[in-house]
Amino acid sequence: MDKLGRPSSDEAPRLEVLGKPLPRIDARERVTGEAVYPADLMRPGMVQAKIKRSPHAHAIIKRIDTTRADALPGVVATVTAADFPELPIGTMIPMGETGYDMWMVAQINMARRKVHWVGQPIAAVAAVDPHVAEAALALIDVEYELLPTVPHLGVAMAPDAPVLHEHVFTKGVEPRPRAPSNVCSRTVISRGDATGALKNATATASVSVAVDTAHQGYLEPQVVLAEVDANGFATVWASTQGQFTTELMVGRMLDLPLSKLKVVPLEIGGGFGGKIAIHGEAVAVRLAQKCRRPVKLVFTREEVLQGGSGPAAGALIDIAVGADTDGKLTAIEGTYRVDAGGLPGMSPSLMMQASAALYQCPHLNLVGYDIVTNKPRTEAYRGPGGIQVAFAMEQAMDALSQKLGVDPLEFRKRNASVTGSTMPIGTPFPAIGLTTILECIGEHACWRDPLPEGRFPRGRGLALGYWRGTSMTSAAHITISGDGRPMITMGAVDISGTRTTMAQVVAEEFGLPLGDVHIQTADSKSAGYSDPAAGSRVARTTTAALVEASADALQQLRVRAALRLQCSPADLVYSSGRFSSRLAAGTSITLAELMQATLTEGAIVGRGTSSNLPLGVEIGAHVCDVEVDTDTGQVTVLRYTAFQDVGLALNPMAVEGQIEGSVVQGLGWALTEGFDYDADGRLRNASLLDYRLPTALDVPTIDAVIIETPVPGVPYGVRGVGEVPIVPVAGAVANAIARATGTRVWQMPMTPERVLNALRGRG
Amino acid sequence: MRMMITCTVNGEERTVLADTRDTLLGFLRERLGFTGTKEGCGNGNCGTCTVLMDGAAVNACLVLAQEASESEIVTIEGIADGDKLHPIQEALVAHGGTQCGFCTPGIVISAKALLDSNPDPSEAEIRHAVAGNLCRCTGYGKIVEAIAAAAAQRR
Amino acid sequence: MQDFEYHRPKSAAAAVEALCSGEARVLAGGTDLIPQLREGRRLARHLVDLKRIPELTAIVALPGGAISIGAAATLTSIAQHPSIAAHYPSIAQSARLVGSLQVQNRASLGGNICNAAPSADAVPPLICHEARATIAGRSGQREMAVGELFRGPGRTLLEADELLTAIILPPPPTRSAARYLRFTPRREMDIAIAGAGVWLSLDTRGSVAAARIVLASVGPTPMRAHAAEAALLGEQPSKALLIEAGRIAAGESQPISDTRGSADYRRELVSVLTKRALSDCCVQLKAEGAIA
Ligand SMILES: Cc1cc2nc3c(=O)[nH]c(=O)nc-3n(C[C@H](O)[C@H](O)[C@H](O)COP(=O)(O)OP(=O)(O)OC[C@H]3O[C@@H](n4cnc5c(N)ncnc54)[C@H](O)[C@@H]3O)c2cc1C
Ligand code: FES
Ligand code: FES
Repeated sequence: MDKLGRPSSDEAPRLEVLGKPLPRIDARERVTGEAVYPADLMRPGMVQAKIKRSPHAHAIIKRIDTTRADALPGVVATVTAADFPELPIGTMIPMGETGYDMWMVAQINMARRKVHWVGQPIAAVAAVDPHVAEAALALIDVEYELLPTVPHLGVAMAPDAPVLHEHVFTKGVEPRPRAPSNVCSRTVISRGDATGALKNATATASVSVAVDTAHQGYLEPQVVLAEVDANGFATVWASTQGQFTTELMVGRMLDLPLSKLKVVPLEIGGGFGGKIAIHGEAVAVRLAQKCRRPVKLVFTREEVLQGGSGPAAGALIDIAVGADTDGKLTAIEGTYRVDAGGLPGMSPSLMMQASAALYQCPHLNLVGYDIVTNKPRTEAYRGPGGIQVAFAMEQAMDALSQKLGVDPLEFRKRNASVTGSTMPIGTPFPAIGLTTILECIGEHACWRDPLPEGRFPRGRGLALGYWRGTSMTSAAHITISGDGRPMITMGAVDISGTRTTMAQVVAEEFGLPLGDVHIQTADSKSAGYSDPAAGSRVARTTTAALVEASADALQQLRVRAALRLQCSPADLVYSSGRFSSRLAAGTSITLAELMQATLTEGAIVGRGTSSNLPLGVEIGAHVCDVEVDTDTGQVTVLRYTAFQDVGLALNPMAVEGQIEGSVVQGLGWALTEGFDYDADGRLRNASLLDYRLPTALDVPTIDAVIIETPVPGVPYGVRGVGEVPIVPVAGAVANAIARATGTRVWQMPMTPERVLNALRGRG
Repeated sequence: MRMMITCTVNGEERTVLADTRDTLLGFLRERLGFTGTKEGCGNGNCGTCTVLMDGAAVNACLVLAQEASESEIVTIEGIADGDKLHPIQEALVAHGGTQCGFCTPGIVISAKALLDSNPDPSEAEIRHAVAGNLCRCTGYGKIVEAIAAAAAQRR
Repeated sequence: MQDFEYHRPKSAAAAVEALCSGEARVLAGGTDLIPQLREGRRLARHLVDLKRIPELTAIVALPGGAISIGAAATLTSIAQHPSIAAHYPSIAQSARLVGSLQVQNRASLGGNICNAAPSADAVPPLICHEARATIAGRSGQREMAVGELFRGPGRTLLEADELLTAIILPPPPTRSAARYLRFTPRREMDIAIAGAGVWLSLDTRGSVAAARIVLASVGPTPMRAHAAEAALLGEQPSKALLIEAGRIAAGESQPISDTRGSADYRRELVSVLTKRALSDCCVQLKAEGAIA
């Protein structure tokens, strides 16, 4: 494959550094414990902050009084919402395709007048040590007027439901409703006549599923260290997926000009979408402004789970599908009710599209609702909404293939989207490798091997997954050091081995070994604006920015080399760190010689930005074998194989790592991870003992099968990688359970109790 | 209350002023600066705080600093021999067994405790040995592979 | 977290003395106590650490085949002890169920008992084996059956100045077998939704001579399923009999619903686990030649 994504031919240069399964360049500091995460940083005079959180899910804050806390020896500052400028609803900052509403960000960081979930912050203290800060929290007096709790979607949608937000009127309904509602928006994606087509279908299948709110489960709790200097300049060391987004958010919340604020992203102990928005960064800065000492704020795990961070949305989803006598899909009908938590979320459009994208179908009617309840405001989690909708859609497709008596793989082959077929929003599909994936599965042992006999029923499930991903913008620059080596500064935070793969890109572009390239993630003052590391965009767009920056730097070097060698730039050939004359054999100069000779003539800075790169849509298909203990409902995953089209694997080991980790996260949500709220909106399982991430004993080794269908018009043809491998997981497991037992489980996670209830025909 | 605590960390005897309520984890991180040991939960549920205490892997968040007085502690900072990584560390690097890295110090310690007592573990034994160490990034496959490779290399 | 004073006595007698300091608590492995103190669920002004008291951490064979386990012995040392693994495998296995290896390297048997959680995994097999607890206090020593120690969730019959010093395992009779099974959604690092410990002894004809069934996580304390035990007595073990015993045990259990499981599910698990544990015992006894 060449760098424009054309299949490799004899003339195209072979890749030397890219495409190789190289270890991460930052692995050694991880295995020795030297890698620095914000919690590891100490500053002289540093104090510790803690947040006071609401014990109620829905209440008016009548009064907050910090007098007693302020008087406690050792307390150096307290803050409440009164310490922040009030931001009107709809104060937007730019971020990606939709922007961010700062009114909501402010609510997530410090509630004003009203609380909408248990754990929402209402005050904070900074003290000389955590024990004093803890004691001070108990001395902050708060008076609440309790309001009725809306604990779940069922209550939220009831006609007489208590309304969370008086300013929310359902968007997307005509005429505009006259009363406020917990339903924030209605989104429709439709073509043809799905209802009619379902009526006329030879076979139909329908499922209704309920998915619990779940958590990204990053192992590093939210943490920030903030310091304000004598000039009022604030530095924030953060665990964030986006230093620029954090900077915009903190700046807006504090009305601080960005010339007075710098965000330094340190190592991040996992984010998966949950560390895009800020959760306390502005609070720490405000405390630091007040006490003029460095302030460290570290969340406990309980805070992370009990309202201190944004989990992933739960949902109620109904799907009906129909096919004709040839086993061709004729209709898909879907209703998606998404639980956004305590503040309005996003339109479910992307997840609705994702659910239907991989099937060619003439009649489509998808209706989605974004709904608020008294739970923490949800945030992104790896292909947000993808696994929830695929849990419903892939079960419906599997059930339909059963009704038709067609093998589930064959059914997918008959109906699979191909390059050029119509996407749910009406535009044609760019190049996709779904057909290749399905062929590949048919030939793979994971599909052909017979299921070995077990003590209990076993089954094999298949499910597809699609994620659109996004591109947004990335910036990077390359300076050339005095010894001729490229030094990369990029705006991308490294959440997935980005430094390694991006150093590989530049090594490839310069024809140098990987070890000759230096790379760093910039703080918010040292590179151009880049959107957060999210939406499977970073590797693709930063590759594009670095290909551009490399070309820019090499062009500047070429001009300089031509001057030194007294020839025309066009007469020079560049290869592996050396410019050579095409005309005079033996006339050449290495980058090291060139820079030594010309360093004082000025810096070489190659610049690159990428925006509006063509999408690198992600497609995967998973095959899963399970055994179901029909006495206890426990599901054991015996074997799991994930097929994915990645365009080009910049680093196959990193790609496998993304896929394997993603699948295991999916298995967690599929089987054991779900938030359990009581009727008062309090999370009953706010610990990692009862919120059960899979351990090494709960999952098999995941096999990742990489398929490469390059994206045209994208350097190296790279696709997004990190999001789609979570999408099919719950569907694949559910289909395997159904094949094993003849029973469909409609609740996710499919805990043993729920599986047993389904097997017994209860609940 | 404040008090002096003496213990041996990575072979060096240390005497430091601490709060009576400090956990061994807080003591190592905040008072001694051994920040390689992480806090993912503070409740014994995640294993990111795993250290060796008198040779046994323990959750430093469930131990009081005072309980460690007169004990020998080994943290992640004490595993490599200067620039020479321990075979478990080498293997985690080579096999892609570390991603965000937050679980990694704990995994290294648990794996060391395993290989010190069982030089030839099966896959099931390896998985059992790290079952108290959650990892959210890798899906465990490459970690298990790395520990098996380290065991093979040490034999 | 409330501030406290830490004591490291060198003998059981010194520990008892320290316990008389007022608002004192025994600290063994701390795997239950430290999180409880941090979250304010228990309070203490004095913590009395037992781990450096040799007599409380030793595991010793007593004359006549019994074994005495020091209350502060770690679950790891119990699981690895050759005589316990050979003669009381259900106890060794239950020690291996608690938390993770890291937890087992700290946690003690005494702590598992004295924390008095209905879900304590090491307790049912102890009761099955009719283990006895020796207790030391200001007014001297006393001894009682482990099964009689519990008053309710988190509450035992121990006085504030008393500590559990050892657990005595009587020698298991021949032609007997024991097994503890629990159910958790994860394979490890999880708390039992329900557990069942059983002990079965057969007469020379292969009929059940004695049976003990102890259930975890389905009542305020670990509880005996007496009616299920009675149903087994004098019978030849058969599949139908074991299923029936499980069904009766489920009926005797008194579970509540919480985030880990509903009462109905717990009852169903009791029935399955009891049956499976009994059937495991039968397999062991068959291997010994005690059943045809
Ligand atoms: C992550 C995790 C997972 C766990 N999983 C399980 C599990 O699967 N199954 C299970 O049963 N438990 C589990 N536990 C609970 C705990 O580990 C066990 O109950 C353990 O055996 C407690 O022993 P300890 O020595 O740590 O007790 P400690 O915490 O030291 O003490 C517990 C209580 O008993 C008292 N006490 C201790 N020893 C004595 C004594 N000799 N005399 C009088 N009082 C005493 C203490 O004062 C305290 O109130 C888990 C804990 C954690 C942190
Ligand atoms: S921090 Fe100690 S186990 Fe999680
Ligand atoms: S590498 Fe991130 S948690 Fe293990």
